Amino acid sequence: MGNMPRVLQSPDASARDGILAGAPYILEDHRKNENLLPIIRDQLKTAIRNNRFIDHYFSRQSVDVDKIGRLEDVPYIPVQMFKHFDLRTCPEGEVAKILQSSGTTGGSPSRIPLDKSTTLNQIKALKSILEDYLGKNRKIFLVIDHEGINKPEMAFSARTAGVRGLSIYAKKTFYLLREENGTLTLNMPVIRDLIENYAHEDVYAFGFTYIIWTVFYELLKKEGIRFSFDKFVLFHGGGWKKMKDLAVSKETFSATIAGLFGAVPENILDFYGMAEQTGIIFVDCPHGNKHVPAFSQVIIRDPFTLEPCEPGKPGLIEVMSILADSYYDQAVLTEDLGMLVGVDDCPCGRKGRYFRFVARVEKAEIRGCGDTFRELH
Amino acid sequence: MIACYLSDGKFETTSHKDFEVVAQDVNVGRERLAALPLDVIIKILDTLGKNILKNPEINSVPGVSYISLWLRRENLERICRFNYTDNRYLDGFCITETHFKMMAQPRGIVCHWIAANMPTLGFFSIVQALLSKNGSLVKMPPAYAPLILSLLGELPGISVNYKGSTYTGNDLLGAIAIVTFEGRSREASEQFSQVADCRIIFGGAEAVRAIARLPCRDHCETIIFGPKYSFAVFDRIYIESPGFTKSLDRFVRDIAVFNQMACSSPHVLFLEKSRFSLEDIASRLGEAFERSPAALRMQDIPTSLSAAIINARATYLLADKKNCVASKNLGWTILTGGDTCLEEPIQGKCIFIKEVNTVDEVIPLVNHKIQAIAIGIPDLMKREAFAKAVTSRGADRIVIPGTIHDFILPWDGIMTLNRLVRWVILRDDQGSQV
Repeated sequence: MGNMPRVLQSPDASARDGILAGAPYILEDHRKNENLLPIIRDQLKTAIRNNRFIDHYFSRQSVDVDKIGRLEDVPYIPVQMFKHFDLRTCPEGEVAKILQSSGTTGGSPSRIPLDKSTTLNQIKALKSILEDYLGKNRKIFLVIDHEGINKPEMAFSARTAGVRGLSIYAKKTFYLLREENGTLTLNMPVIRDLIENYAHEDVYAFGFTYIIWTVFYELLKKEGIRFSFDKFVLFHGGGWKKMKDLAVSKETFSATIAGLFGAVPENILDFYGMAEQTGIIFVDCPHGNKHVPAFSQVIIRDPFTLEPCEPGKPGLIEVMSILADSYYDQAVLTEDLGMLVGVDDCPCGRKGRYFRFVARVEKAEIRGCGDTFRELH
Repeated sequence: MIACYLSDGKFETTSHKDFEVVAQDVNVGRERLAALPLDVIIKILDTLGKNILKNPEINSVPGVSYISLWLRRENLERICRFNYTDNRYLDGFCITETHFKMMAQPRGIVCHWIAANMPTLGFFSIVQALLSKNGSLVKMPPAYAPLILSLLGELPGISVNYKGSTYTGNDLLGAIAIVTFEGRSREASEQFSQVADCRIIFGGAEAVRAIARLPCRDHCETIIFGPKYSFAVFDRIYIESPGFTKSLDRFVRDIAVFNQMACSSPHVLFLEKSRFSLEDIASRLGEAFERSPAALRMQDIPTSLSAAIINARATYLLADKKNCVASKNLGWTILTGGDTCLEEPIQGKCIFIKEVNTVDEVIPLVNHKIQAIAIGIPDLMKREAFAKAVTSRGADRIVIPGTIHDFILPWDGIMTLNRLVRWVILRDDQGSQV
């Protein structure tokens, strides 16, 4: 893509800035769709101009961007494609860094090119979401992981994404685990410091669900350690397949971990997010629903018809966003199953769509007596 | 725990710790079966074929009408003749060209491991055991047991007259037991394997390898079906022929039946260069998919397969020099372009189509994993030369589009009935033997 033309114009930047500056959950769904569609249409035009793969994708499906009348009609790209194609939509010279995410299933990493404006938008978006859940003030940030996870040389994973993303609200960061010879142990000096000096501070924490349960909780239980924070919120995500294998429900997890920190279960917030859409996390409200912020949309698609599902019917989660100028994140189809719960009427008061994560899609295996053509020797 | 749904001629669900009782019942039943003339067995099966079509509970199930056709007396007699050369060998010693007599004795108890990809597969396997007068102990995928039991449920009502005697379907039924058990249970699997005089194994690579390694009796014969891969090749003359549109309809059936999960399901279609572009043919193939019955287009697929199809479609839509033509839903997918090679199967009616300069370019791709190749090569000489070349490299069945799943012996290069019997001799005099 060496001869790529420069970006002719940024998408409707002022409209996007306006959305990012506003509160994330006050718009009704139809209003939000009206806001997002023209911005996304502009972004698609730039993407088609700047990336021949995306140009193929649209032309081969005979998609005329100007005729896209609904967000549901925006062509989605499956998340796996970030592993196989360069989905950069800005000139190469504008790429400030490339995120490489191994994801949770391993294999080839996704490559996500970020330019300055995209990174800035992602920070603004995440800040806006966190502010809705945490308030305006910066807080003490606890990472339930080891410090090595955030080293620049580490590959970008769901764990690093969470730490880096959520740290934007931190006035001071503490890592509660240490890594010794490949094993995670408690970072006791830090834990003692927190118990003695920070019990009355505003504290928020982040951890990978599976690590919190199988490592952190087990170690604290063994040592008989409990925290007693006055104000505590935990954001946790990922690893629910493993948790399901362990037969640990979300309710059990929340109640148990809340007890560990002296918090209420309503402050143990599961969130859904991915490296391919850094900047956006879909966080649980007190009613257990994940909410979609103003700069994003979620469509649940039937796994066979691919049509949007009605509330209550599980399907593949498609995430949409207006944050990126540097890669195709306007419509990304995940390999996760979710279920739309409702629109604009969650008892928590947040407007827009709200959904629940159901499960990860299992890896496909060849079934029956049909098989690979390869001979094993 | 072993669940048994049919044993000793009774359709009752019973639980067992091992196979001792069930195997004893099959042994008793198979001795009764072995005493029947082969003609009687065929006559009963022929009647069964007619009766299942009259049963409204099963006659609309996909594959049942084909079973009915397949059970026709002429077809079964032909299959037996093809395998035994002379059907009288099944009923007693017969004179041969040599100085001894020969007979085909059943092996005893055949244990069948039925794959979970074709609902009717177990039935074909059982009928082959009946035509060789063997008892059957069948490990059935639980989802398919009700259909097979319904088909066999027609047997008790059948009676036929043969040379002044009356025989009933119960004479066949007593030689069959249908069981289910957890395949991961090593103990149950080993027990099952060890009661077998013959093992028939259908399944994917992992299952077949694991089952084949189970301990068995020294004399036990093992017949393995699968894992295999199939594809199709059409030459220029065939593509440019006036009947090509109909040929595509038939080929779509080959792809769609069993939702592309059978070893005989084609995954790639190679097209010799013709006056039609690959895009033209993809479009016509798409139209053929749309003309196919809705029941074939709208088969349920697991979500994991949905994701695989979505990823394949996107890969071909994004890539240079490739393309994808597909239904709006995940009903069918045509992936065009790419190198001249076989492609890993996706299943769920995803067909790769590729252009080649000549059909001979495909020959080097063939190996022993290839089961069936549907060929559209009208010229008989060219057709036979191609068939000779690809079968010498390992392909088993060279068929015409639309017939790829027809259950014709040999299958996977195996004359199954022949393998299901022991050829025994009786020498009456010294004679002279070469």
